[in-house]
Amino acid sequence: MAAALGLRSALEGAAVDVMTIDPAPRLLDTLHVDGAVSQPQDVDLQELSVSGAGRMRALKLDPKHTFDSVVNRYAPTRAMAEAILNNRIYRSISTALAGVGDYMAMEKLLELYDDPEAALIVLDTPPAREALDFLGAPERLLDLLNSRATSLLGGGLKLSDLAARAVLSAFDRVTGLHLLSDVHTFVRSFEGMYQGFAERAARARSIVYGPECLVLVITTAEELRVEETREFVGSLERTGLSIDGLVVNRVAPPLPHKSGLKKINPPSLQKKMQRNWRDFAALKQRETAALRVLKEMLPAGATMLVAPDLGREPRSLADLAEIAGTLDTPHFRK
Amino acid sequence: MAWPRLTLVIGKGGAGKSTISAALADHLAQRRPTTHVGLDQRGSAARLFGVAPPQRSAIQVRRDLELIALSPRRELERFIQRIVPVRMISDRMLGSRTFAYVTAALPGLEAFLLLSRLSAMAGEAARDDRYVVVDGLSTGASLELLSVARGIRNLAAAGTLNRLAIDLEGFISDPNRCAVAIVVAPQQLSLKEALEAASALREHANVNRIVAILNAVPAPLFNQAEAEQAMAADMAHGALVRRRLDLDAAVQRVRRELAAAGLPVIELPMLFTPAVGVAEITRLSRALGKQVEL
Repeated sequence: MAAALGLRSALEGAAVDVMTIDPAPRLLDTLHVDGAVSQPQDVDLQELSVSGAGRMRALKLDPKHTFDSVVNRYAPTRAMAEAILNNRIYRSISTALAGVGDYMAMEKLLELYDDPEAALIVLDTPPAREALDFLGAPERLLDLLNSRATSLLGGGLKLSDLAARAVLSAFDRVTGLHLLSDVHTFVRSFEGMYQGFAERAARARSIVYGPECLVLVITTAEELRVEETREFVGSLERTGLSIDGLVVNRVAPPLPHKSGLKKINPPSLQKKMQRNWRDFAALKQRETAALRVLKEMLPAGATMLVAPDLGREPRSLADLAEIAGTLDTPHFRK
Repeated sequence: MAWPRLTLVIGKGGAGKSTISAALADHLAQRRPTTHVGLDQRGSAARLFGVAPPQRSAIQVRRDLELIALSPRRELERFIQRIVPVRMISDRMLGSRTFAYVTAALPGLEAFLLLSRLSAMAGEAARDDRYVVVDGLSTGASLELLSVARGIRNLAAAGTLNRLAIDLEGFISDPNRCAVAIVVAPQQLSLKEALEAASALREHANVNRIVAILNAVPAPLFNQAEAEQAMAADMAHGALVRRRLDLDAAVQRVRRELAAAGLPVIELPMLFTPAVGVAEITRLSRALGKQVEL
């Protein structure tokens, strides 16, 4: 859906960047873009033969690469940058361990935002739970790097510092990890860079939470998804982010009237087609109930859009253009 | 080979993880006491069983089937409470911002502790002749969970955590204790994600028992000739017939590719029902039948 929305704007003449931070490859696959390349790649819009089209680029976030760039950019000296890049804690948090991508997605977002050519950035987040991690990323990074952490891990004498240090010491002792000094060195090595991080995190937050940003929640009309959507929308609101729209994807087309089956011959085929109709009618009934609940939960001021099931999986730009063409999105053009 | 003590059910969003994990737990519980573990904090399986979602304690669906909810955060709390046994101090720690630094300093710790808990549950299940079914997270998050032991082992070159990480890697690779069931919907994207997940599970997490559960397989109704006949008679109803045939074709394609990837496949029927609840879970549980050897 992120690709379809981006494509729609690109076909209307805008310069669009679509960034995915979802480890699943579906967005890039659909755009026929190489997922192994972390730089923005041009999407070839020519195959759609639309006059006046703008440009579209797609990229997948590479957290390690982005984090390294940030360190190199903000470290006061080359030696400090090297010290950070070689720190054991840095190496562990900038590579494969859980939740790392969130830290850096905001950084990449700013980089794209600062590109004067880009008119629209579409950010494709991972599924709901991880999307919340993404939104909290700047605060978490700053929590780790701010002077409070230095005090805690260094020589702070407050009761809470002492208690926290006791836990970390116990953790070191129990695990044999001997992390404490590494964490301290890591946090200390960022001291001169904190200001830069803080400013950029504040900027990223002001963009995401500001009037220029549109928040669309994509869901499907399935019972379990409806509950997930309800909780996700509530969680977003608790972070201060209200949604602008709910896009319900893959909604089945209306069923033909059952009476049309009466004329089918031979009767054996008619019987099979009646069963087929009943089967799809049951699914439609399930979907309609879910759509009703989704509509009821829609926050004030938000719009619900319905994207049809194409009857096939979107695999090409033409498929994406077809989906985008069905979404009436003027409300979203702020 | 007997069914493993713990099954982690994973898959692309919308493929039917919660439904399948509930059906599998229901099926296993017919033979042995079974615990269904929800990681999604929404109590999806509980809704399907028609009971209230479990909070801090287990919910008994029936005598041999219980539901529990686990979260990485709660496992971290338990860990801290073990290290700081004085409740007042540990509670204060858990409620403070400084606590966040501990977790921020070592991303992956929460997932590691969660995996440790699952490993312990599998051990208890083997001892008590029980089963555990885990309604996992999305494929990406599940891969991170299963790869975290290796990451922690690399970080801690020696010591307790290193030994624990090695134990966890042993658990993950033991086909009698741990299996990963990848739920696949008959769609190309779901298939692609499943095949990539299977490959990553083998290569990066050393999982030795992976099974694909092909969900939503419709009973075939029409052949090509009938579809053409239907189209000629009535375009709208013919299109509905075509939709059914497309589903059949997608199932055939997914079957072929899963077989080519060397994955054992369990198939479950498409539920053409207006809702999914207890009756549908029972139906799927029955459909698992001989496909799940105990």
